[in-house]
Parts: sequence; structure tokens; C-alpha cells
Amino acid sequence: MSSGSRRLTPQAVEVIDRANSVGFTFDGRSYSGHPGDSIVSALLASGVTVFSRSYKYHRPRGVLTAGFHDPGCMMQVGDEPNVRGSHRLVEDGMVVSSQNRWPSLRFDVAAANHAVGRFLTAGFYYKTFIKPQPLWPAYEKILSRFAPGGRMSADSVHGRYDHRFAHPDVVVAGGGPAGMLAALAAAEAGATVMLVEEEHALGGHLRYEPSQHKDLATIVGRVAGHPNIEVLTDSVVTGRYDDNWVAICQRNHPGVFERLIKARAKVLVVAAGLVERPYVFAGNDKPGVMLSTAVRRLINLWAVKPGERAVVLTANTTGDAAVEDLERAGVAIAAVVDGRRGHTVVRARGPKTGVKSVELADGSTVEADLVVTAVGWTAPTSLLNMAGDRPRYDPAAARFFACDLPANVLATGGITGDGTLDQLAEHAQAVGREAARRSLTTRRQWQAARPWAASPQPETDDVSPQAIPDLPRHPHPEMFRSTSHGIVDFSEDVSSKDLVAAVAEGFNSIELAKRYTTATMGPTQGKLETVNAVAVVAEAIDRTIEDVGTTVWRPPYAPITLGALGGRSHEPTRYSPMQSWHQANGAKPLVAGQWIRPDHYGDPEAEVRNVRENVGIIDVTPLGKLDLRGPDVSRLLEQVYVNRWAKLGVGGVRYGVMCAEDGVVLDDGVTGRLADDRYLMTTTSSGAGTVWEWVENWLQTEHPDWRVVVTPMTTSYASMNVAGPKVRTLLERIVEDIDLSPDAFGYMNVRQGRIAGVDCFMWRIGFTGELSYEIHVPAGYGLDVWEAILEAGADLGIGAFGVEAQRIMRLEKGHFIVGQDTDGLMQGFSAGIDWLIKLDKDDFAGKPELTWQSQRTGDVRVVALQPVDGTVVPLEASQIVDGSGAIMGRVTSSRMSPTLGRSICLGVVAENLATAGSVVTIRLPDGDLVKARVMEHHAHFDPEGTRLRG
Amino acid sequence: MADPIARSPIRPLEPSTILEGWEVSGARSQAPLTICDVTPLAKVTVRSDQDLFDVAYGRARRDEHGTLVVGSAPQEWLLVGSPGSAEVLTERVGDHGFTVVVDITHGRAMLRLTGAEAATMLAKVCAVDLGDHMAPNGAAFRAPVVAVVTDVIRDDQDSTPSYLLHCERSSGQYLFDALTDAGAEFGLGVDGFTARH
Amino acid sequence: MLLVPCPWCGPRNASDLRYVGETSRRPDPASVTPAEWRAYLYDHANPAGPTTETWYCRGCRRFFVAERDTVTNVFTSSRPPGRQNPEEPR
Repeated sequence: MSSGSRRLTPQAVEVIDRANSVGFTFDGRSYSGHPGDSIVSALLASGVTVFSRSYKYHRPRGVLTAGFHDPGCMMQVGDEPNVRGSHRLVEDGMVVSSQNRWPSLRFDVAAANHAVGRFLTAGFYYKTFIKPQPLWPAYEKILSRFAPGGRMSADSVHGRYDHRFAHPDVVVAGGGPAGMLAALAAAEAGATVMLVEEEHALGGHLRYEPSQHKDLATIVGRVAGHPNIEVLTDSVVTGRYDDNWVAICQRNHPGVFERLIKARAKVLVVAAGLVERPYVFAGNDKPGVMLSTAVRRLINLWAVKPGERAVVLTANTTGDAAVEDLERAGVAIAAVVDGRRGHTVVRARGPKTGVKSVELADGSTVEADLVVTAVGWTAPTSLLNMAGDRPRYDPAAARFFACDLPANVLATGGITGDGTLDQLAEHAQAVGREAARRSLTTRRQWQAARPWAASPQPETDDVSPQAIPDLPRHPHPEMFRSTSHGIVDFSEDVSSKDLVAAVAEGFNSIELAKRYTTATMGPTQGKLETVNAVAVVAEAIDRTIEDVGTTVWRPPYAPITLGALGGRSHEPTRYSPMQSWHQANGAKPLVAGQWIRPDHYGDPEAEVRNVRENVGIIDVTPLGKLDLRGPDVSRLLEQVYVNRWAKLGVGGVRYGVMCAEDGVVLDDGVTGRLADDRYLMTTTSSGAGTVWEWVENWLQTEHPDWRVVVTPMTTSYASMNVAGPKVRTLLERIVEDIDLSPDAFGYMNVRQGRIAGVDCFMWRIGFTGELSYEIHVPAGYGLDVWEAILEAGADLGIGAFGVEAQRIMRLEKGHFIVGQDTDGLMQGFSAGIDWLIKLDKDDFAGKPELTWQSQRTGDVRVVALQPVDGTVVPLEASQIVDGSGAIMGRVTSSRMSPTLGRSICLGVVAENLATAGSVVTIRLPDGDLVKARVMEHHAHFDPEGTRLRG
Repeated sequence: MADPIARSPIRPLEPSTILEGWEVSGARSQAPLTICDVTPLAKVTVRSDQDLFDVAYGRARRDEHGTLVVGSAPQEWLLVGSPGSAEVLTERVGDHGFTVVVDITHGRAMLRLTGAEAATMLAKVCAVDLGDHMAPNGAAFRAPVVAVVTDVIRDDQDSTPSYLLHCERSSGQYLFDALTDAGAEFGLGVDGFTARH
Repeated sequence: MLLVPCPWCGPRNASDLRYVGETSRRPDPASVTPAEWRAYLYDHANPAGPTTETWYCRGCRRFFVAERDTVTNVFTSSRPPGRQNPEEPR
């Protein structure tokens, strides 16, 4: 494949640094290039012409565009797959390899697909691999070998990915002459501008236009010097979303691999330029067939000779300029075929890896190793589509134009029309000024609406809309396909024949044919192939391109890595003040939502026994807490809880259950009255946020007249539950100002005082079923108090216990957990809280539904279950079935009880099975059936509650 | 029994010392961009049906006592004072209409980010426009910062941009860690708490 | 990402808010029929066009009511809950 050096003598506007060299390998062989070379220009200069195998037929592919969207030049660089080889700059030490070849680029087994090509036509995946189903694993194994794209190893070390938010007044997508001039005009009018360019330098097509070099340098200098413009090169606007939320993938930020910028642009200016459209003819994907812009870039930017003897098909001035470039580079011009005169090429012939001769429409054959086509342009209207525009086709200019843009999106440059550079400049500057005007108006509106913003500047006198001149549209012949068939989508290996076949099979609209053939769905995202696909389909169904229209271009404009989308990990984690103690004492962490909690400290069953026999302490800081103050708190409590609150006195604590308006159990917890107009409501740990918004909703939308202030206090307090028969002895040692005697401080009461020298309040409740005090201290003192309690109780055998021990004990006591033993459909009475629900209250959330539930039968019930064989612990979610195998319920919680020495459960069963003493059948995951008895009480242990009331 | 020590949710960078009953870091940073755990500051929230303080929602300013008064939501204010001053702050609010004052010193973490590049750094992790037009000195808003709901208060220090970041206590260590990570590219330094805060 | 006009905060990213749902009036629980109550819970107009909906702003922690066209995603007004006439922001 190597044929010696193709590097030209220095060119006027080349971007390579000839004074320095970089060494790299490609498929194991060493090559060198210069700083400024792309991987492909360096390889091409060394004589390499084949860079990949195509996606489906595994045909050798070379340079097509020599730019950002070059489909045949995707490469593996180190362990980074799918690198754009025609765009990525070569670096010293790079290890580059080709993709889609197995076992080698030179000899590719899968190229045999070509011989069986008839199996790989339109919809081949659907047809070939659907049946027989049992063969799928085998298909997958084989297909993965042929799968496109590179590889990455799980342990590869990558650079960092990052995110950033930005709020420019104007984002300009495209850093060609129009984009730069629009950016300058906007910046000069006072707007902040983000100018985004996919190439490594600003300039667009002027970069390879030696005659314009001076003008370009002047403009680039002005852009670089303007303080209002932030220039992002090697960066792509990948999407435009609601209200100009613009995604930009930036690759040139030091220290990170890629950075996703989420910009809220007040105005988006699309100056994406034009993308040269390939021509469809037989052999058009052979290495050696290139676009005229590719030739111009290779010669002028990188001083690379693209071939030795060329046939140039030109239908425009760019093609003509390419002829001049080729002649200057010493490439023999075998033929210039003028598309404007109706001439064309039919076929490129030669071995798989290159071109030997070209067949022209007049029947003649010309020897050549290079075919250059300049048959027209595609307007990359993706970003305009994403803003709601449906571009319309103009046959006279042979391309699509935008027609209906929202006020916050403008377009300029080649995407809007043609004209001289002066005409384009005038248009771009008017667009820039108008973008500034609109964005500054928006800025003032946002400043006025945001209470924290600076007062808006008064409007200047010159605020009238800018007249944007119309750009002329130059006539261009419509050239899409020759008389032969060739590749339409180079990324997905879809030929014009495939599209015609798809139409013949009934997929006769462009959206259907696209999905069936996958044309336009590959890495180039339609930039090269959409219009040709539309043209081929139009021809096949005998309609015009205007009628067929274009497919809807959706984000991303260009493929984006998952790393850039992910950015750095932002997963908030919450810790209690006692976290350092838990860590130091061997706690096994339990991830509970955002919280990290101690699951246990080694032996949860021993922790249970210690609480039942001595005394234990658990960190319950994550318990949700809302401070409620004001004269109307009890009205609020009556509204959100199903039970009654009016008579709760100061110093009292009550358990409550909340239901949503559909009667479904929402949350539960205890609320205590600390003072006349001050309450503390606790919620489940996971329900804290929901309950807070729920309570606010009632106060703000239904009862704005109630005077209640809600303050979330979840982690204002370090909360710890100290439980066990010896707890009173322990607390008497370190609690001040609270009489702990049972008469003075009874069950379900709250008292305020001091513990270990710290202000606290504590209440007597009994989730574990033991005599227990839940102590709340200001969070900053949590660790000191925790350690003081442990120290004071050392001789009493105190031990910390974790969430698992607490879960076992609450199950022994039959307390349900909202969301585990209840679900998103379970209404209040099903949870077995009949005693709590006060239907005679005037109103409360969910009352109508609970009233109707109380009047009907046939719902489910939460019940306590004990397997007849107490050694069997049915897995949670095991089904409860009847004799016929029908599902009658499920086990919602199950554990081996260290206290009772047998398995215990809570479950949900159909009401007719819920009577105490009835025996149900549990189907274990392995299919075995076990019997379990429905218990009289939810509590398996101490149902009378004598221990906790002690 | 020894006096109890109050601790911030953020582990202090060594050496740690005790200041006003709080364990704080004694570290000092000369970096151009610094982050400092100022959790020991007294933090009191005030809700009232009266327009107190003459500070509107979205604004923050210091009163005659040097207390930072933040309009943290409509009819809601956050008072930030020196460590241990919560009771004084509460008393100063006085009795006006239906007014509720809650000491949240222990319930929240507070960080101060100071430096010319503070806004650039915050823009990596906060979606709100921090430019001078949209968030000048004295701006106050609540928004997610590294996905944690945070009160962001711009409170410049001697004309150097500075932000107070105020979040639920339990998220404090995470917020601190995530910010120091995001700030690495700016050479962010960790500064200990001193009385001048 | 949609910008949602909070009456107190001005335009905010939709991710700073929670969409509550179409604004509806809670029937009187004392006299409501099951059909009326379930219409309140579940029957939403979900129009392609102008709609009135409730949002919760996590910034200022206020519920508010907004008019939005679901086809264009354009908000035409927003106001505190329970008030019938659009008010000036702040």
C-alpha cells in the first residue's frame, strides 16, 4: 500500500510545522509526520491510502472528505475507539490502528461478504438473522466480530471528562468567514459570544484558499483580540434543545479529554457552512475517489499529493479550483469532466484498494488513480431542524434551504445562500448585529425577571431590528447519481441499489427507507448522504426531491462520547455526624437513597440479642424531620394525617400515617408537640423530601390562610435511638433536667433537657419493641454525645446496632415499612391501620377514597405470617398462591427472628385469607411450596407491648 | 464532663483547633482561589408575613451589626453572624406580626469560595448564570450545585469575588469534596476558618 | 432544557422545578361522588395547545400556576397559586 512520500514542497497556507517531526505507528508499522498533520494526512504523505474496512461489506476505504466527517477514516488511537483520523492531529508516540478489519487490513475475512452481497442488501439484519430464534447466541458471536467501531478495555485509563455551564448572549455554530464576522458584529454590539468551530483553527473554507489568506488572518486576529468572544476550536455544537439550551462538545480544554458545555444561548447563530456532497456511481467508495474539497485541503493545508493522475468531475468553482491545485501539485490531469455541460463519470475501475481507470458517460475510459468530484453541496441544517425548521429544496440551487426559524435562532453563510465574499460578509454582519440586538433584549428581560440580577441597562437608541439582506442563490446542476449504482451512505455501507430495493419492498417514503436501510444513521449523521438518499428514493418512486423532502435531523449533530455526556460523577452522598465513628468501628455501609448508613457492625443477630437483653444504640439521623411552627399546626396535622391530632398536648408524641389523595399510604412517623405552637414531625428517611413538598402544597395551594412555617431539620439534629431493658439506668447517668421515671416520662412523651452537657429533646417510642428513647441533639454535637452514651453504658453492655438489626426487631414487632410492606396501590385500610383512620374527621388527604374503601370488600390486607416450618425463611417477594397456583399475595418482609428462634414474615394477602389462623401457601423461588399461618397480631413478639411501656 | 465540641460535617484539614467551641481547620492557603468551611457561623432563618430587614428576595447585604442578611426566598431571610451569635440574632429579629425564627446553625453546612476565578469554577457545577449582569455582588439564589440544593450568596471580599454556599448539613462533606475536585484545575486551596469570616 | 418562568425567580431551568400537573380544583370531600373524585385524581385534559398547570420551584420553594402551550412550549403567564389574574412577577 505504501508508495513512497507524497509530501509536496512547502505550500503557501500549509499548517504543518516542517521543522519538527512526530513519530507514530499505524497497525504496528512506524510512520512520521509533522505537528499540524492529521493522522490521515501524515499517513497519506507516507503513501498509505487505505484506512479502514467498510461497515458491512468490509471494502477498503480511503480518504473521502479529508475533514471532520470523513467516514472511512475512523480509527483506534491507543484504547480510544472511533477517532476521526482525518481530523485528529497526530501526536508523537500515538499508537493508531484501523478498525473493522479481521484479521488484518490487507486480508479481511469479512470482505467475503462482498461475494455473498445479495444477503446483505436492504434490511439484511431483519431478514437474515430473525429466525430461527435459538440461533441468536451464535449470530451474536459472529456479528460482534464484524461489528463496526473500535474496542476499549475495561481497565483503560482515560483522561477526565468534564462539564461546564455557560450563558453566552450568542452562540455561533461555525467558525468560517460568516461565523467569524457574525461573532464580531455581535460582540461589537455588546453581546458576549461563544464561537464554536469543529476544525482546529478558525477560517472554514478560507483556510485552504491561498488568495484569501491575508483577509482571513485579519479577521481571525480581530476575533482573537475581542474580549467578548470566547473561541472554541476542535469543538462541536451537538444539539439545540428547548429555549436554546445548546450542547457543545469541546475537545481543546487542557487537562480533560472532552468537556460538554451546556450553554443557555439567548440567540443561536447557525453558520455551519456547506458540506460537499459525494457523487453516487459505481466504485465511488474506492480509495482514490475524493471530493474536491478533500483535494484542496490535502494539497493546501498539509502539502500532500492526493494522487498521480486525476479525473476531475466538476460542476462548480470549487471543482475548478481543485483542478488548479492539482496542477500546481504536479498531478497529471487525465480529464476534466464538466458537469455543467451534462458530462459525467459512470464507473471507477481497479483493484479493491484503488482506482486504475475511469469510465466516462461518453463511453471512453481514462487511466487515472484519482477521481475528484465536485457535484454540489449539502446544507447541514441539523441545528435549524432541531429548532423546528423543515428546510425546503430549491432545485435551481440543488440544495435545501431553511425557511422558518424561531426568533432566537438565526442563520448565515453558505447555509443561507451564495454570493461574493463581500455579500456574505454583509449578511453575516447584519445577522451578528441582529443576534446582539435580540439577545440583549432577552438579557434585559431576564434581568428584570430575576430578583438577584443587576438592574438592566436602559435600552440604547439603536434598537430597531436590523435589515438582513437576502443572499443570492447561485444556479447549480442537480447531480446526485450517475447512470450506475454506488454507495450512498459510506458509514453504513448503504448503496443506491439498496434504497431502490427498499422502495420496491414497499418502504416508499424517505423516513421508512432510512430506517429500513439505516442510511443516514451512521457516524456522519446524514451530512454526506441524506440528500443523495432523498434523490435516489425520489427517483425510485418517480417524485421530485421537493415532494419527498428531507428526513428530520435530530441531535446529535455529530456523534458524542458517553464520557462527555457523563462528565464527572455527581452523585450526592449524605452522612450523619457519627459517620467517622461508624467507619472506625467496622460498620458495613448500607446505601439507602443518598444516605450511607451502618447496615451492621459484624453480627446483626447478636446486635438484636444485645438490645433485647441489655441496651443498644442506633444512629437514626436520616429520619426525616420537619419543624412546624405557628398557631395552625394542628389543623395542618389533621389535614395530612389520617388520625386525630387536636388533643395532642405539649409533651405528647403521636404516631401518624399519611395517605395521598388516592387513599394510598404515603408515609408514616411520629410527631411530637414541643411547645404550644411548635411541633416536630418525623417522616421516613426516604420520604422526607416528598412529605416536605406535600405539606407545603397543602399550605400554599389549599390553605394559604393557615399560619404555619415549615423548616426542614433532618440533619439539624443528630438522632439516636437508645433501646433495651437497661436504657433507663444508662440515661440516668448522663441526662440532666429530665425526670426519666416512668411516671414522669411515659411512653409516647417528649421531654427537653440535656444529655452529656448538650441541649436535647428525647421521646419515648418503640420501633424496636424495647423500652427506648430517641434522642435528638444539635448535629454538631452528635459525635460527642454518641461517644458519651457508649462510654456511660460500657458496663451495661451497650453496643451499637445497625439498620439490619433494627429491621429484624421491627419485623418481630410487626411494624410495616412504607414502600416495602405497602406499595403504590395499597390504600390505608389494607395496611391494617383501621384503628388509626378517623373517617369522622371533617377532612383529611385521601378521606373520600378511604371512606369508599371502608365500604367495600375484596381488597388486600397486610398480615403477619409464620411459616409452619420455622426454619424456612421465604425470600421477600415470594408469592402466596392458592390451590390452583393463582397468586393471592406475596411475602413483603421476612427474617429469622433471633428472639423467637423461628422465621417470621409480613405479607400481603387477599382479604379472604387474612383471618387469623388461616394457613396460606407460599411458593418459594425454586418452586417449592411451604405453608404459613396468618397471625392474630402484626407483632410476633410481645404483642401487648409490655416491654416498651416499662 | 469536658465541654462538648461542635463539629462541622466537613473533616477539618490538619492542623485542627478549637474556635468558639467549634473544631476548625487551622490551615492557611495563599492560593488565588480558596475554599473555606465556614459552618461555625451562626445561621438563623426567619419567616414572616411582614417585610423585615428591607432586604428583598434575591438580595443579600450586611446590616449595621455586620450580620449578613440574605433574602433567601419570598418572605424568608437567612441571617449569618459570627459563631455563637444565634441567640443574639434571634432576639434582634423582635416581634412583628407572624414571625418564626429557627436556628439552623447545626442543620446546614456553609462554604466560602473566594477568588477571581470563583465564578468560572462554579460555572462547572452550577447551571445558574453567575455573570455580573445576572448575579452581581449581593445576589442570592437557591439552585443545585454539584446536584445538591444550595443557597448561593455572592458576598465579595475586598472586591474579590466570593460566594457563600449553604446546604443541608449531611451533604456538606460531599459538596466540599466535589468542589475541591472541580477546583483542582484552578489550583483551589483549602483555607481554615478564622474569626474574620 | 425548557425555561420555566417562576413568578418569583424569573426564568429557571426546568430541572430546578417539579411539574406537579394540570391545575385542578379539589372537590369538597363531604359531598363528592366517586366519579367526581376520580375525575379530579385521574382525568386530565392533556390538550395539544394551551393548558394551565401547577409547578413547584425548588429554588424559592413556591408552588405556582402557569399557562403553557403544549405544542410550542411557550409559556404565556405564570402566577402564584389560587389567584385568578396574572400578576406582575415579584
